[in-house]
Amino acid sequence: MLIFAFMKLLLIEDEKDLAHSIQSYLTGKDFVCEWVSTTQAAIDKISNYEYDCILLDLMLPDGDGFSVLQELKKQNKTEGVIILSAKENLETRIEGFQLGADDFMTKPFHLSELLVRIQALIRRKNFNGNNLVVFNEIEIDTLAKAIKVKNEQVAVTKKEIDLLLYLIGNLNKVLPKSAIAEHLSGDMADMLDNHDFVYAHIKNLKNKLKEAGCDDYIKTVYGLGYKWQND
Amino acid sequence: MTKNLLYKTSRAYVLFSVLLLVVSAPLFYYSTKKLYIDETDDTLLLHKNEFVKFTLPTLKVSEIAPWNAYNRNSKIQVFKNIKTDTLFYTSYHDVLDNEIEPYRELNATITIEGKPYSYMERISLVETEDLMQNIAILFLSIISLLLLGLFVITKRLSVQLWKPFYKTLAQIEQFEIDKSNLPQFPATTIAEFNRLNASIEKLIVKNTSIYRSQREFIENAAHELQTPLAVFQAKIDSFVQTGSFTEKQYQELSSINETIVRMTRLNKNLLLLSKLENDNYSQKQTINIPEIIQKNIDFFREQAFAKKVTIQLQLTENLLVQSNPVHAEIMISNMFLNAIKHNINEGVIQVKTGHNALIFSNSGQSKALITDKLFNRFSKSNPSDHGNGLGLAIIQKIATVNNWTVSYTFKEQLHSFKVQF
Repeated sequence: MLIFAFMKLLLIEDEKDLAHSIQSYLTGKDFVCEWVSTTQAAIDKISNYEYDCILLDLMLPDGDGFSVLQELKKQNKTEGVIILSAKENLETRIEGFQLGADDFMTKPFHLSELLVRIQALIRRKNFNGNNLVVFNEIEIDTLAKAIKVKNEQVAVTKKEIDLLLYLIGNLNKVLPKSAIAEHLSGDMADMLDNHDFVYAHIKNLKNKLKEAGCDDYIKTVYGLGYKWQND
Repeated sequence: MTKNLLYKTSRAYVLFSVLLLVVSAPLFYYSTKKLYIDETDDTLLLHKNEFVKFTLPTLKVSEIAPWNAYNRNSKIQVFKNIKTDTLFYTSYHDVLDNEIEPYRELNATITIEGKPYSYMERISLVETEDLMQNIAILFLSIISLLLLGLFVITKRLSVQLWKPFYKTLAQIEQFEIDKSNLPQFPATTIAEFNRLNASIEKLIVKNTSIYRSQREFIENAAHELQTPLAVFQAKIDSFVQTGSFTEKQYQELSSINETIVRMTRLNKNLLLLSKLENDNYSQKQTINIPEIIQKNIDFFREQAFAKKVTIQLQLTENLLVQSNPVHAEIMISNMFLNAIKHNINEGVIQVKTGHNALIFSNSGQSKALITDKLFNRFSKSNPSDHGNGLGLAIIQKIATVNNWTVSYTFKEQLHSFKVQF
C-alpha cells in the first residue's frame, strides 16, 4: 500500500512490551513509529515534530493521556489521535472525543485491527475527497464502497469491502481467524465464541475476485487464519 | 406452617384461658362445695350443742313425742348405738315436691332421764346446689371477661408494640445489596428494637461494604488484566509474523491464540457485568425492539449459517421499551448468539414479540435445562463448550437493571427465553 509510505506515527505507551510489539508490527515500508512512555516526552515530541497519527495510552506514569490531547489542542495541531485504553467506559470515551481524539480502542486488541484503524484515520485526514485504495489490479473506493478489478466494477457487499480493506491493509501479515472475526463483528465481537463464519466470508470474497479475473492473493495459513500475500 | 406473630401470641393466651377454665371450674366447684358442707356441719354441731346445753337438761321422756312433732329437721330417735357424733349425706323423700332431696345429717347420742337416745338433725342441701350453680356462673363470667379483656389488651398492645418491628421488616424487604439505598430505621422507645435496628444496620453496612469491595475487586482485577492480556495478544500477533512455521507449530499457535482470545472475551464480559452492576443512572431512552432485531438480523443469520439454523421472525411493528440502547442491543445479541450456540444442525430459532414481551425459542438438546442455576455466572449446560457461561448472566443482569424479567420454558422440543418488559 504505497500511499502510506513513510507516514510518521507517535506511540505513547508506558508498557514496554506492548510498545515493542506495536512498533515492530507497524514499522515496515509504510510507517515509521516512534515511541515514548511519558506525557512529558510526548509533549516534547509533538511540539517539535509533525506526525500523521498519534497512538495514545490514557494511563501514563506521569499523568493522564488527556493532557497530551489538551496540549495538541493548545498548539492547534491536527494530528489524528487514536486512544488505546485499558479502561473502557462511556465517560472516558466521550471525554476523549471531546478533547479531539479520532478513535478509541480498548485493550486488548489485535495489532491488525490497530493497523487498519490507523490507515482509515490517515485516509480520512490526509486525502480529502480522494478515497481510493489501490492494490495492483484492485481499486477500492472507500467512500462509495465500490471495488473495481482491472477497471471493471465488481459487485460485493459492504462487509466484503470491509474485509478486503482489512486484508490489504495487513499486507503480508498472518491474520488469525479470531482477529478477522472481531474485525467483521465490531461491537458484537465480545459475545462471539465461534469464528467459523469467517471462512464463508473469505470464500465468497475469493470467488468474486477470482471471477473478476483477479490474482489469488488470499493465502490460507494452516490452522491459524489467512494472509493477503503479494508474491 | 407460618402464621404471624400476633396469631401465635393470641393462640397461647386462648389456650391458657381454656386450660385455666377447664382446670379451675371443677376445682372451684369442689372447694366451694366443701366449704359449704363444712359450714353446714358447723351449723349442725352448733344446733346440737345448743340443744344439749339449753333443751336437754329439762327434757323428759314423755316430752320426746311432742318435741319431735314440732321440729321438722331435728328428731330424737331410739338409740342407734353410736359412740361419737357422726355427720353424713343422706336423702329424704320430699312430699311437697315429690322428689328425693339431698340432706346433710348429724347423729349424736344423748341421755334423757338416764336412758340413751339418738339425736338427729338434718339440713337440706337443695339450696346449696342453686348457690353453687350461681357461684359457678358468676365465676365463669368473671374469668371469661378477664381473659377477653386480657386478650383484647394484648392484641392492641402487641400491634402497638410490634409496630417498629414491622417497619424494620418492611425496610429490610425493600433492601437490595446492589442498589445504593440504605434502609432508614425510625428510632423507637423499645430497647430491644433499637438493638435489632442497630445490629441490622451494622450488618447491612458491613455487608454492603464487603459487597462493594468485592465488586470493585472483580472490576479492578478485570481492568488490571486488560494490560497483560493486551501484551499477550500483541506478542502473539507479532510473533506469528516472524517466519514460516510447520503445520504443527501453526496449530499450536492457533490454539494459543484461541485461548488468549477466549480470555480476553471472558474478561471483557466480566467488565461488562461489573459495569451493569454499577449502572444506576444510565440514560434511558425509548427503543423499538423489532427495529434493533431488524438492524442486526443479517449478522445473526450469518452466524446461524454455519449450523444451517433457520431464523424465523414474528415481529410486531412496534415494541417500545425504556432502556439504555447499548444494553438492549447487548441483550438481544446475547439471546441470538445463545440460541445459535446451543442449537442443533439444521435447527430453528423463532423470535416473537408481543404483549410487551420478547420471546426467543430454539431447538437444541431434547431435554429441558436445569433452571435453578441457569442464570448464574459460569453455569454451563455443557461444560466442554467454549462459551464462558456469562451470556445468560448478562441477559439477566440487563433485565434486572431495567426491571424486566427473564424466564425459561421448555415446550414442544423448543427452549424458550422470554423477556417481559
